[in-house]
Amino acid sequence: MLDLLRWLLSQLESEDDQERSKDTARQRLSVVLIQDRLDLPIDKMAAMKREIWDVVSRYLVVDDDFLEFEIRRLDELVVLVSNIQVKDTTELASAQ
Amino acid sequence: MVKGNHMTGRTIVITSGKGGVGKTTATANIGSALAMRGNKVVVIDTDIGLRNLDVIMGLENRIVYDLVNILEGKCEPHKAMIRDKHGHELYLIPAAQTRDKDCINPDQLRELCAALEKEFDYVLMDCPAGIEQGFKNAVGAATEAILVTTPEVAAIRDADRVIGLLEASEVDRPRLIINRIHPGMVKQGNMMDKDDIVELLSVEVLGLVPADDRTITAANRGVPVVHDTKAPSGAAFLRIAARVDGEEVQFVELDRKTGMVSKIKEILGLDRRAYSHA
Repeated sequence: MLDLLRWLLSQLESEDDQERSKDTARQRLSVVLIQDRLDLPIDKMAAMKREIWDVVSRYLVVDDDFLEFEIRRLDELVVLVSNIQVKDTTELASAQ
Repeated sequence: MVKGNHMTGRTIVITSGKGGVGKTTATANIGSALAMRGNKVVVIDTDIGLRNLDVIMGLENRIVYDLVNILEGKCEPHKAMIRDKHGHELYLIPAAQTRDKDCINPDQLRELCAALEKEFDYVLMDCPAGIEQGFKNAVGAATEAILVTTPEVAAIRDADRVIGLLEASEVDRPRLIINRIHPGMVKQGNMMDKDDIVELLSVEVLGLVPADDRTITAANRGVPVVHDTKAPSGAAFLRIAARVDGEEVQFVELDRKTGMVSKIKEILGLDRRAYSHA
């Protein structure tokens, strides 16, 4: 009886530990759908990201990598969302 | 609104891109449910060479003429129509089995649908899988579209592709049916839910259909599952048909069984038919 209870409890706990495979599915799909929709190869996307970083870094001291850089669907619109951390705000002030 | 008396019916294509997600089942059930609501309905199997709507509806033994015979002028549309067994105003135009998709074109099919719209409230077309000629025929003849998918990566990817193709066509923006949802898996985080899929596809949802063993037994018998009053999937298709028919039907949260016994069953993985939203 105790064994059964212990087993039941372990089943309850393991639910939380389990990998949520739907998150993987969503992540993979969002990448695939963007590529399907835009027909924009991964290397072109990387080149665009690099160029945008180059431009921004000419004016601001920014982190080496974007926090976020993706094309996503916003209702009827397809938008490019890019977020980059500004590291040194004194530089930001002097730039102005 | 007097049923069966509209001057102009609606022609709706049921499509998906990917095969095996439940287009034919959806067509048979929505058609049956619309007829049960008092509409005059004709369902057309446009999957020439791979007809299946006839077996899902249990009418395979009554076929004499088919869609291609009509379009080639070999018979009147009424001669090819098979009336459903359940006493409603529901008719099937079967596909030809020994021809291929290239033997008809969208204009011919549109002309037929336009003629049928004068007599029927609904003309439903079961579209073949894929995005080639068969798809173009059916979509080219329709004015509305229902898209069927399952909560799987491949089916959703193909659905997105079809949404893109439909945007380029004359058809209104499609409404989505998410078929074969396993609520237990959704709860565990192992299956994408309605919100996940809407976020990915940004499309209006027409209905959610739980995975249901009774769909399979219904197909075995050739009786669409809407006729099975105990089937959760049948109830879901009845709600979908009501929405198609213009009725506002809330997305109800179907009660998950909450008793101690079912809780234990669920933990043990025995509760296969539990479902949440539809």
